[in-house]
Amino acid sequence: MRFKIPISISIVIGVGFIVLLGYFIDLPILVVMRQVLLQWAVALAAVALLVGLANLFNVHIRKVTERQKGAPYSLLLIVSLVITFGIGIIFGPTNEWSLWIFNNIQLPVESSLMGLLAVILVFASARILLRRVNLLSLVFLATVVVMLLGAAPILGFEIPGLHGSNGLRALIAQIPAVAGARGLLLGIGLGTIATGLRVLMGTDRPYGG
Amino acid sequence: MNLGDLSLFDLVGVLVGFGLTLMVFSYIFGDNVLFRSALHIFVGVSAGYAAVVAIYNIIWPQLIAPLLFGTQSERLFVVIPVALAGLLLFKITARYSALGNLTVAYLLGVGMAVAVGGAIVGTIFPQVLASTNLFEFSAGERSDNLWQFVKGATILFGTVVTLIYFHYGIRASSEQRASFRSWTEPVAWMGQIFIAITFGTIFAGVYTAALTAFIERLNFIGDFLLPMIFNL
Repeated sequence: MRFKIPISISIVIGVGFIVLLGYFIDLPILVVMRQVLLQWAVALAAVALLVGLANLFNVHIRKVTERQKGAPYSLLLIVSLVITFGIGIIFGPTNEWSLWIFNNIQLPVESSLMGLLAVILVFASARILLRRVNLLSLVFLATVVVMLLGAAPILGFEIPGLHGSNGLRALIAQIPAVAGARGLLLGIGLGTIATGLRVLMGTDRPYGG
Repeated sequence: MNLGDLSLFDLVGVLVGFGLTLMVFSYIFGDNVLFRSALHIFVGVSAGYAAVVAIYNIIWPQLIAPLLFGTQSERLFVVIPVALAGLLLFKITARYSALGNLTVAYLLGVGMAVAVGGAIVGTIFPQVLASTNLFEFSAGERSDNLWQFVKGATILFGTVVTLIYFHYGIRASSEQRASFRSWTEPVAWMGQIFIAITFGTIFAGVYTAALTAFIERLNFIGDFLLPMIFNL
């Protein structure tokens, strides 16, 4: 089994550098190779999704058969998964039965969860402010209040200095919020490059090498 | 929405959606059986539907169909991804799971290269360019240019101090927390202020979206219940 480590690393390095060079060097052969490798990766990512699905199924089947804690919930999950998968495979994802499941189960739960977030966020932010009041939490709260109040006229009335293109809301959104977001984005970008290069050079081996 | 005009097929759908909405909203009173049931049903349906879409839109047209019904060149083209897909399926078993590492390595190689390329082309270059563009002055009013300069300098300052906030002088260890160098500490504190303002702005945006979804759901519940109440 020893020979596997260099093979995995050489795949990562070889494939990674071809794709990366394809971004910056306008050589037709590199561009074509990059497109082919990306196309294969998309197909393999779809297969990886199926592997994840199989793993989810196995975990919950085990919970049900071993009557572990939360087994009834696992049973619900398995039943809904099997029915959706079965109907989808037989009739296709755009058939009216599949769309019925999507429109009447997935969409309502998704938008309800999103709606629930509005309630939970209020409770969570109130709890944080009660537990830890400092300058940063006050700045955060003040920004949230200004951004929410300034989002639209209140009962048709615009507060001078808050609303409008020269108001406080626009000023915050255009200057300090942009500065912070730019710093965060650059930080994330630099972090992504550092992590990516460590994997591409074989220093980090999250694929089990 | 008039329930009387709906077919049985649609009426059952509306009833199911209504029930699931109430089950999710029951979380307002605390974690409970109804909320957990709705979540598990949601996970099952989402996973099943995602798998179907992946099979119909990607796996069948890109891997299986060319292999079974394609020309000689099309078959040759998909030999490598089909072999890698086959190896990936070994990840399901605990015993032969290591065989799937080759495919995982391939996916990581491509994924990391795309992430690095995307970070350089899609984040670093545009953000640096946007920062330099802030100091491009027009041939207009002098006061406009002064305001533009103040704005650009503040954004540049905020960007730099935010970046400095993430720079620690000493690495964290089991005995010692990561800490700033003495000169960066006050600058990093200013960076925190900019981050707090940015997070406040993002929070307000997320809250507005969540509130919109909440109102849409309340509207749906109202549309369902009000006709029934007034028909009684």
